[in-house]
Amino acid sequence: MIGQPTGEKEIYDILQEAKRSLNEEGKLLSKVYNEPSIFDLEVKKIFSKTWIFLAHESEIPWSGDYVLRRIVDDSFIVTRDEDGEVHVLFNMCRHRGMQLCRSDAGNSSHFRCPYHGYTYQNTGKLNGVPFQKEAYGPEGLDKDEWAMTPAPKMGIYEGMIFASLNPDVQPLEEYIGDMGWYLDFYLKKSPAGMEVVGPPQRWVMPADWKLASENFIGDGYHTQSTHMSTIKAGIMRVKSPAYLKDGVQILAGMHGCLFMGFKPGSYFNYPQSIVDSMKESFDPDQIALLEENSVLPLNATIFPNTSLLHSSMSIEEGGKSVPYVTLRVWQPMGPGKMEIWSWCLVEKDASEEFKKASNRSYLSTFGASGTLEQDDAENWSGQTRVAAGEMSGQHYLNYGAGLGQVEPIPEGEWAGPGTAYPKNYVDFAQRHFWQTYFDHLLDSQNGS
Amino acid sequence: MLETSVETYWEVYSFLMHEAELLDERREREWLDLCADEVEYLMPVRVNRERGEGEGFSEEAFFFQETRGSLELRVRRLETEYAWAEDPPSRTRHFVTNIRVAEGEEEDQVAVRSNLLLYRSRGSDPHYDLLSAERKDVLRKEDDQWKLRKRVILLDHSVLMTHNLSVFL
Repeated sequence: MIGQPTGEKEIYDILQEAKRSLNEEGKLLSKVYNEPSIFDLEVKKIFSKTWIFLAHESEIPWSGDYVLRRIVDDSFIVTRDEDGEVHVLFNMCRHRGMQLCRSDAGNSSHFRCPYHGYTYQNTGKLNGVPFQKEAYGPEGLDKDEWAMTPAPKMGIYEGMIFASLNPDVQPLEEYIGDMGWYLDFYLKKSPAGMEVVGPPQRWVMPADWKLASENFIGDGYHTQSTHMSTIKAGIMRVKSPAYLKDGVQILAGMHGCLFMGFKPGSYFNYPQSIVDSMKESFDPDQIALLEENSVLPLNATIFPNTSLLHSSMSIEEGGKSVPYVTLRVWQPMGPGKMEIWSWCLVEKDASEEFKKASNRSYLSTFGASGTLEQDDAENWSGQTRVAAGEMSGQHYLNYGAGLGQVEPIPEGEWAGPGTAYPKNYVDFAQRHFWQTYFDHLLDSQNGS
Repeated sequence: MLETSVETYWEVYSFLMHEAELLDERREREWLDLCADEVEYLMPVRVNRERGEGEGFSEEAFFFQETRGSLELRVRRLETEYAWAEDPPSRTRHFVTNIRVAEGEEEDQVAVRSNLLLYRSRGSDPHYDLLSAERKDVLRKEDDQWKLRKRVILLDHSVLMTHNLSVFL
């Protein structure tokens, strides 16, 4: 019956089989793309266990600034207090559980519950309780005990604010691990760091979050078909549709990324000031990749649902390509449905002119109206739609590109950490994403 | 309360109806010809804010921030055989109402406000998407023809309920 949840044992059997066929045969059972019972497990065993990206520090630059964010269905207020400290506070009053903050962004030193008027500081401290003595006796309430509940863990990595529902989650630095070296190419091109260009675009897509995560971790292969229109129209200024055939695919910790070559000396058309600051900011191995190999990471996924893209596209007819970075959250809303949050990041110390051009290049090509992402949306929602039925439980997909054909770059020949494959039309990173995913879902120690 | 002549109002009305027809019939190239060379086509991101904080439209983040040159690239892409997002095409209907016409900042211009409800249906999906917005336009008369000089699309959404924006508003 359509929509009827599958039994728990059956789900574990499906997942065991999916894991086995992926590991042993390079095949993925398409059921995992869109299955309600699997979604419930994802919430418990992934989104309640790992680090989840919530906001960029530059979204709340001033004391009192806040934004509202979610981990699946849990609402958090991300605040900056009067001392400049960042807090991630569960957005639920300690009294009757009313949603405390109902605006998505703003500046406020306090949050006042509309229901009975409990008032909290933006640190989470309970400040005011109306008619306290009448309600709770002459001693009043223990304000420390009834403070807002912070996220069990929060951490900041290069301006990216993460939280976890899991009090025992490993430290964020360790979670990012080897991927940090690759994230530098997105986040540390200037010693000044990055900032967002305004609030994120947000839109809802009838597509499963995993399809976007696996696409961004390493799918260089789709570009010659999915994005052909932008090559033909002169938006993507490349010599051949197969421009991504050669490159390097990276597996780093639970995460991964894909390197793309650029014309030596062109650095994605970054202005000279940013090329200079890259070389100031990067380590010698990173500089060597830029200068000698002429490669930069194109797309990346931080497990489970945060991605980055580095690209360079033409905005105007006949215009030269302008580089940009976009940051994503593929926020699950249910099986086969997500909300996408999409930011443009620019170097804080870049010129206003470059910031504006970079943002335009981004929104012309990525985001809801982006000429490339429009077609990604078509794919991800189409994959999700046809995986909703029963046939997907016996329909296997080819994840075998590169298996037995391509070997990792030998140690010492690739400067970065993790495992590097000298090709882009391969499925190593995508298989890695799904293996990481199955490891979480099937880990009996990983709560239930 | 008519701020312009009946004749001007009627011309603007006809322009907006013609434009909606072109877009619904997927004649994007002809629609592009209605845009002035200096057209500004903007759709800012809207954030849900407290009442005292204004309407929540961003001055930095946009869904569209287009010039004639970038609109040209978008239309050219739709004209290729590979624009999967619109092939098979969406069935759209632009419902344009509440048209208000005022004098523009320059003599050959008018400032136009209209409400837009965009219905969008794709494939054989029984669901459809609706986008609601106010549009603030500047039309300019060039060689006796009205042209779109500027459009600001002010969404009634903080989160878009459509999987992509492969159509114009």
